[in-house]
Amino acid sequence: MKLGHKLSNATFFLLPAIILIAAFYILPLIVTTWISFTPLRDWKISQLTEFVELENYRALYKFVTTHPLGSLVLKTTIVFVVFTLIVNVLGGLLLAIATYVIEERVSLGFRLLWLIPRMTPLAVFGLIWYYFFYGSPQGTLNAFLLKLGLIDQPTFWGTDPNLLPWSAWSIIIFVNGLVGVSYGMIIFYSAFKSLPPELLIAAKVDGASTWQIVRHILIPMARWHLVFVTVWQLLSLVTSYTHLFVLVDWRIVDEWYGTTWALFVFTEAFGTVKNQGLAAAAAVILVIIGSLLGLLTLRIMRFDKITLEPKGDI
Amino acid sequence: MTTRTLAALLLLAAFIAAPLTAPITVNAQTVPDLTGNWEQDVIAIGQWLQSNGISTVHYTVQAAGDPNSVMRMYGIVEAAYRINQVWQQNGINVQIQVDTNWESSFQKQYDNFVTQYELGQNGDFFVNSYIYIATLAADGRLLDITQWVQAYWNNVFSDFYTPLMEAAKYQGKYYGIPQDTEARPLYIRKDVAQCMGWDLTGLDEKVKNGQFTWADVFQKAKEAVEKGCADYGLIHRKGSAHPDLIQFIFAFGGSLYDPNTGKLVVDREAVYKWLATEAAFADAGLLPRNIMDWDWATQIHPTIVGEKKSAGGTGNTLFDIGGTWYWTEWQTKDYYLDPQTGQKRPLTPEEVKNKFYYTLFPAGEPGKQPVTLSQPFMWMIAANAGKDNPNFDNPDFKKAYQELAFLMVVEASDPIINAVHSVISAHVPVRKAASALLKNETFINKLRNLQLPFSQEVMNAIAPIIQKTADPINIEFLANVSYMLEYTHLAPSHPYYSKLADVFKQAVDRVLKGQMTPEQAIQFIESSVNADPDLSGNVEFTGSVPTGWSLLPATQTTTTGTETGTSPTTTTTTTTTAGGGNTALIIGVIVIIIIIIAAYMAVRGKGQA
Repeated sequence: MKLGHKLSNATFFLLPAIILIAAFYILPLIVTTWISFTPLRDWKISQLTEFVELENYRALYKFVTTHPLGSLVLKTTIVFVVFTLIVNVLGGLLLAIATYVIEERVSLGFRLLWLIPRMTPLAVFGLIWYYFFYGSPQGTLNAFLLKLGLIDQPTFWGTDPNLLPWSAWSIIIFVNGLVGVSYGMIIFYSAFKSLPPELLIAAKVDGASTWQIVRHILIPMARWHLVFVTVWQLLSLVTSYTHLFVLVDWRIVDEWYGTTWALFVFTEAFGTVKNQGLAAAAAVILVIIGSLLGLLTLRIMRFDKITLEPKGDI
Repeated sequence: MTTRTLAALLLLAAFIAAPLTAPITVNAQTVPDLTGNWEQDVIAIGQWLQSNGISTVHYTVQAAGDPNSVMRMYGIVEAAYRINQVWQQNGINVQIQVDTNWESSFQKQYDNFVTQYELGQNGDFFVNSYIYIATLAADGRLLDITQWVQAYWNNVFSDFYTPLMEAAKYQGKYYGIPQDTEARPLYIRKDVAQCMGWDLTGLDEKVKNGQFTWADVFQKAKEAVEKGCADYGLIHRKGSAHPDLIQFIFAFGGSLYDPNTGKLVVDREAVYKWLATEAAFADAGLLPRNIMDWDWATQIHPTIVGEKKSAGGTGNTLFDIGGTWYWTEWQTKDYYLDPQTGQKRPLTPEEVKNKFYYTLFPAGEPGKQPVTLSQPFMWMIAANAGKDNPNFDNPDFKKAYQELAFLMVVEASDPIINAVHSVISAHVPVRKAASALLKNETFINKLRNLQLPFSQEVMNAIAPIIQKTADPINIEFLANVSYMLEYTHLAPSHPYYSKLADVFKQAVDRVLKGQMTPEQAIQFIESSVNADPDLSGNVEFTGSVPTGWSLLPATQTTTTGTETGTSPTTTTTTTTTAGGGNTALIIGVIVIIIIIIAAYMAVRGKGQA
């Protein structure tokens, strides 16, 4: 009876969340998986009930193994995710420490500054980088370097064959890093702010240097936040494509070195040939890889310890 | 989600409404078939509709384009107005009402049409590029109008340019009627030609006869740059191989489609010669290597219309592969940097006329034909046209509504409507009667004085556009390029053509940048096509890469020897960059492993403490 009561209470309070998750996460996932077994293209809904077995998955395998660009997509995805993740997590941490140790008045403005890329609409942000990296003498970067006399010819930074592939990769990592870094900064900063001040006062009284405070107090105390930000950013980087889409579509970066798996899914479904069946198969693979990566990271970083019930010394 | 919910709601509404509608009684008289006599057919359909209790027929036209192309939508509005007039004069009490739906991007309008079709919310008339005919017809979303086109062949459609009518077909059946089109001339700067002492008189005839080929274009371009008359020899489009650069394939005698198998074709020989030509221009420094990344508004057009950099301009070129719409675009956009004032401004019609000579796209090599390429817009009728009218589910009513829709398209193809549209939107007429009107002074005067036989609604909409665009120089230009349609080619209306064109784009971009030789590019095209699930079954390869072919006779290539010598080095760069990719991969994996181990140890260490 008591258990039943508890359960119905739990159900009542969880119901809105369950409905939302079912409608916006689980249902689309089921629909996507379903579509990946159909020949759906051009949104011809009648094709939703035709099945092609594993045809889409076979086509995808063939693309990755034999298409000249198949392995490049994988390579770009790995480079993009790994390096942007490092920028996002370590950069966020550095910014949080920096804003934590400087005076609050200055720090607030500084943090706001870093939030601008996140608050700027994609089209505007994209346009800024379009003009920044643009290959004519009027492009911001070119104009600047030409003025300084560091280069004598304007360069198409993201597409010049002599600079590829790292130039293109650097640009996508840089632009996405700039957007993502503020997320870690906010989380870490609030974590530092919530630390009991006695700890820091005691450390300072004992003569600890700033570096020692950072190394032995701030970082260890914020380790769960580190885990959280790493996992969160990893998963969102694996699936993010919007900024890449703008950069590739406007030819600021070379499409061969700017297309990640997520962008491949998008262009396949909504590009010139709208092959939604194949795109869905690629999306399913992405979900599987994303879930595995997420679980693995949580396992390695001992996420289970955060969710343990308090041992209760109180 | 929304579309599905909407579909479910519509279904529910239909279910509830079904028993409420009265049973249909169709007048014993059958729906008249179309005879080919427009007025007679209009009256017959009107009488049938009236005798079956219909007083209003409702249609929606869904069209797309730049703001000056509104006749794509008002053509149908005008046709409805004229049919209403005929009915009124003959005592038939039926009215057609047309709703309009306009979108500036034709790709976006296609997406709208496709998604709305499943919900029955699409337009009855769809005015868009012919490239969608294959996909839409294959999916059963367009009305097959073959029988009616045949009925009207002698009176109307025999006057249309043949290649355009062919483009309206899918698997031998008509699914559309050409609405407008364009040609892609080769523009030549008269001032640059004069500077190098080249008399252009009669060149268009030489091109037409195949006496002036791409080898000659190369020679002249080289001469222009060497004599210091131009910064570049040739400028062409960016971003895509389709449609402008695809002309090379036709100019070298290749094809893109095999009507017998219904498959796309990669003609190795023609594609190779195209890529080798581009490489020759780029290697000789006549065509920018990164032209595919250039910007239309700040680089490409300013270079086509501009003055030499050394004279304070934005750079200039002798040749440009362009389109007929460039002619008026140069008059409306600020592309020209005036060295005298230092300001950017549009050119005047006179300046455009004095600056540019135009010919067909020359033959690739002696013995081949000159070409141009068109992408006609089409009037298409949706397979569910008439759906918003009473008793549409009854086959007789459906037939009447759809025949009426076809009669509207026939009227919208009226030579005057077509000629007016051509002038105000800078397109080329699709039928000879309309081309003839452009050379008719009486018509041009009437047009400029706004004395057109159009309804008030249409006249109000287009009068401001006519006042801005109807310049005698521009009308003369359109009339002068109309002959090019006799030489026009069309890219295949095949569902996967755009995907194949994308592979071509990648190849030409890499060849221009020196990352691939033309031979390697052919290899790349083959392996890309074979690995693509859509293309592999739909593309066939013909011919082979010619050995020892060169755009120029052997003696002349030696002059560019130093330049061509650089391409192997750049190829090596590609290999090293690919190697760079592998190093990146290894470094990346190592770094992530180190981070994970470090984090693990930090967390574990703390836990144990």
